Amino acid sequence: MNHQTEIVTNEYNLQNCLKLCREAIPIIDTILFEVKNSLKSLCDEQGGVNNASIEKEQFLTHGFAWLATYVEGLNQLLSWAENLENNDKFSLTEKLILQIGFGEYLAQIKGGIQMSQSEVIRLDQFNLSKESIMMLDRVPIITLISMGNSDLARKKLVNCLIKNVGLPTHCQSGLNDEHEAIRDLFYRFSKEKILPNAHDWHLNNELIPTQIIEELSELGVFGLTIPEAFGGLGMTKTAMCVVSEELSRGYIGVGSLATRSEIAAELILRAGTKKQKNLWLKKIATAECLPAAVFTEPNVGSDLGSIRTRANLEGGNYYISGSKTWITHASRADMMTLLARTDPDKKGHTGLSMFLVSKTRGTETNPFPNAGLKGSEIEVLGYRGMKEYELSFDNYKVGQNDLLGQKTGQGFKQLMETFETARIQTAARAVGVAQRALDLALKYATDREQFGTPLITFPRIYGKLANMAVEVVISRQLTYFSSHEKDSDRRCDLQAGIAKMLSARVAWAAADSSLQIHGGNGFALEYEISRILCDARILNIFEGASEIQAQVIARRLLERSHN
Amino acid sequence: MKILIPVKRVIDYNVKVRVKSDNSGVDLANVKMSMNPFDEIALEEGIRIKEAGNATEVIAVSIGVKQAQETLRTALAMGADRAILIEAADSVDNDIEPLAVAKILTKIIKEEEPQLILCGKQAIDNDMNATGQMISALTGWSQATFASKIELKDETALVTREVDGGLQTIEVTLPTIISVDLRLNEPRYASLPNIMKAKRKPLEVRLPEELDVSVETRLKLITTKAPPERSAGIKVDSVEELVKKLKENMGAL
Repeated sequence: MNHQTEIVTNEYNLQNCLKLCREAIPIIDTILFEVKNSLKSLCDEQGGVNNASIEKEQFLTHGFAWLATYVEGLNQLLSWAENLENNDKFSLTEKLILQIGFGEYLAQIKGGIQMSQSEVIRLDQFNLSKESIMMLDRVPIITLISMGNSDLARKKLVNCLIKNVGLPTHCQSGLNDEHEAIRDLFYRFSKEKILPNAHDWHLNNELIPTQIIEELSELGVFGLTIPEAFGGLGMTKTAMCVVSEELSRGYIGVGSLATRSEIAAELILRAGTKKQKNLWLKKIATAECLPAAVFTEPNVGSDLGSIRTRANLEGGNYYISGSKTWITHASRADMMTLLARTDPDKKGHTGLSMFLVSKTRGTETNPFPNAGLKGSEIEVLGYRGMKEYELSFDNYKVGQNDLLGQKTGQGFKQLMETFETARIQTAARAVGVAQRALDLALKYATDREQFGTPLITFPRIYGKLANMAVEVVISRQLTYFSSHEKDSDRRCDLQAGIAKMLSARVAWAAADSSLQIHGGNGFALEYEISRILCDARILNIFEGASEIQAQVIARRLLERSHN
Repeated sequence: MKILIPVKRVIDYNVKVRVKSDNSGVDLANVKMSMNPFDEIALEEGIRIKEAGNATEVIAVSIGVKQAQETLRTALAMGADRAILIEAADSVDNDIEPLAVAKILTKIIKEEEPQLILCGKQAIDNDMNATGQMISALTGWSQATFASKIELKDETALVTREVDGGLQTIEVTLPTIISVDLRLNEPRYASLPNIMKAKRKPLEVRLPEELDVSVETRLKLITTKAPPERSAGIKVDSVEELVKKLKENMGAL
């Protein structure tokens, strides 16, 4: 594999970049395989995964998950580029994104990947052979690292991005015309209806106006993936990603309005009885019913198996008692998908059941009108617009017919099946937020002058912009890859987890860099970027915190190797 | 009554237009293209007329490259009933001239026999402002240009036009050609359900030869230049200085 490739550049442009990237992929695939082998001892003799060892070696196993994320990211970046090349759409912008992306991510694979601001995983922490590590000294890798992500390439890329402002994503998304027509629609909706108001909604901690919900409903947002037979549009998860991305680019609160509808609809579609499907799906598709997802408890976050809220069966009805927290949009919701323990004797997941609980939509003066249900708002930094609540249930009555699928003990399993979609959608929301951070940074850096020249002319400013743009593309492609897998009916929890974990980090990094470019102004509440920073922070936490996500990715990959 | 609406695929209005380095035209490579905004307004008006029960069918027609199908899909998603593409160019750089467009449309009008043609007053790419008027000449139909309000009656249309001195209302006999101005309406969003429905609506593709129209260019493009960049202004310290500068340098006052 010792290729002698001739290196030609015209200053910024790596001439045979696609070829170099193709040659780099098998090398990093092999490195990933070797790292996986080095973690074999964490598995038991039957090839199953030993959870206790994985937790004990969290730093290594999570590092492995991050390495896998980078390798998958580069694989998807390359297939995006190849697809564009085959369709005559591979212009200089996309070419530079490819070479900078490979240059930067290969350098990080070689030198250390940041799992968070304070944790770096380095290859020498794994027990790898010297030969394996030396594979990263081969020509394609070294060339891409030393010449792909050059200062001139970054400068040129940012010039291209500015020229492409008319293109909603500043470069080719790689999606087909129909998906791009959907993007155009929501790009325009965001620009005209959301962006002019979002900052005020945030600063005043307001609920998103019902007028916006009605307009989104007319556009078909809430029934997007619900089958036509149940009043929806039966569109792809990829279409859902594009819609979530563009709405979140306007305001993450608006991009998240349909999240709970998506989760509730998927729960009902997969596990509901015919009667439950007929009762709820059409209402969810039109936003006549806004659902809330009621799973988390004051002492239960990622560890859902320890849920304590009880559902007692008495005289043909269930009575819910207990505390729930971090319930988004709870006051205005008309229905709650609620996870509670129906069997107190069974600890862990097996005693949990899912309910479809009706409630009355609250008002400003009376946020929780039903007897047996109280709630108080949790004030938050960002991700406002729907508001967060702590809820307490006191013998809240639920009919027996409202038990999802009329089966007890299935709640956790039923919920798990919706995780793929929820993570794909969250990844798309993160991409939208990151793109907005980039939009704002590009604009500010162009308009603002210091020392007699626009900020954008300084290498550390255009460098940040280039890196942001490249990472937005990588996370976007990972997101579309996972939605494509989902649309093809393939298991994609791994791909969805990877997309979610990286996109969330990218969104936070982009928001932080964009604020940095804004300088002191970015720190002022008056500037939109201050909101984007607050909104971006949630993405690493909800729908599977970054650490849990890494744990799940690592476990899945180690499992797979022994299947 | 049938309404026929020509729509053109043009460079998107958000795009910063760049002139090619050899001055042979505008750079359209990797650039976002959309429906001409004035045509969008014409289409919106046509759909509204149909929704009010005053028309039976809205037909969108585009003349240009294969990719204009995307523009026609958008028209169908907004509410047109069917679409016709006349594939007259194989490159986006090949802009079909107004006379050829008007001749093709006249042929289509003969076949379809609409009572009303609604078109944008001009395309934002070359700003010709000619096609509607040319169709009127070729068909011998009445015309009303720059409409800001349209009111249909049994045999006529009352059209309010934006003219230099204000608003002028004229009455034209049907069938007629109306070119529309910016303030006629605000075009709707094409919703997701309608994007899905549009996939099933008919889109017919035809060639100019079938209609026996030549699309050969008659005009010669000599050069394309970007407008000169605005030069920086000057700062003055007092009103007196301002007045002095205005008198001396600008020839004002």
